Amino acid sequence: MIDVLFFGRLGDFAKQVPATMQALTPAEIRDLLAADFPDLVRELNQPQVLVSVNKMIVGWDQPLFDGSEVAFLPPVTGG
Amino acid sequence: MRYSRHLLMDDIGEAGQLKLSQARVLIVGLGGLGCPVALYLAAAGVGHLSLCDADVVELSNLQRQVLYREADCDRYKVECAERELRALNPHINVIGYATEITDEFIRDQDIVVDCTDNLAARQLMNSACHRNKIGFVSASALGWEGQLVAFDFAAQPRLCLNCIVDKDSPEPMQNCSNSGVVGPVLGAMGSLQATTVIRMVLGYFQQHGEMQRYDGKSGRWLALLASAKDGCQVCGVAG
Repeated sequence: MIDVLFFGRLGDFAKQVPATMQALTPAEIRDLLAADFPDLVRELNQPQVLVSVNKMIVGWDQPLFDGSEVAFLPPVTGG
Repeated sequence: MRYSRHLLMDDIGEAGQLKLSQARVLIVGLGGLGCPVALYLAAAGVGHLSLCDADVVELSNLQRQVLYREADCDRYKVECAERELRALNPHINVIGYATEITDEFIRDQDIVVDCTDNLAARQLMNSACHRNKIGFVSASALGWEGQLVAFDFAAQPRLCLNCIVDKDSPEPMQNCSNSGVVGPVLGAMGSLQATTVIRMVLGYFQQHGEMQRYDGKSGRWLALLASAKDGCQVCGVAG
């Protein structure tokens, strides 16, 4: 299973999302959520959303393995 | 004595204070991040501070931009910041530029601190810092959240901001103007930027490209690592 974290304000859209999922890539996690969590997926599709796997920033197609920790981070742009 | 709390520390001391007094640091953006960065670096005795921001103070800035007072509204931020920083520490050089950032401001610096609010300015600074092999400390904040990422291009030529956020990426719809921001979150991230600058000046910075994320609502921090992108148009190009 894959541990999934929606950091910061993404967490506000993900309160009902299970903390673990089965998926091969972060992109597949997003696709699996599309039907039940359209507001969350709309946020995930924003430009500059970051994805990390095991605390390393990666692309959406990064392969996942059992025990991987995936985090989705919303863009933070103000100053 | 002004710097006695630094001089008491074995890993700063007189030698470290001398390095701080010789450092040349450019702060770009004198908003919610730039205010604490400028205050802490001036107080710490960073000897040469340049400030760059084309904006004037607005009433809605005062909720978080702690250098300014109500009477400063409609005055250039850099003018007000210069006044406050000189009052705080008259023994350092402070110079303000009420203009947008361009390459020429970056060339003669040791470290550039990005306190702006848009990707275009960040990418300009990232490219110029990489080209000139100088430190780049970038932060941002929105709502309850903050982000910091720093690069020591004097030591590491590969891995830059463009490896993490492509320069052609569109700006997100949400920004501080339309979504708001919690003032102390900016203070936390600005303090972290100032600490990072001091680490770089003193030679203690070893986290090239490490990202820190803060969620003030949950109180959670996350430290992430990045890797250089193959074919990056900024740091992946030979020469």
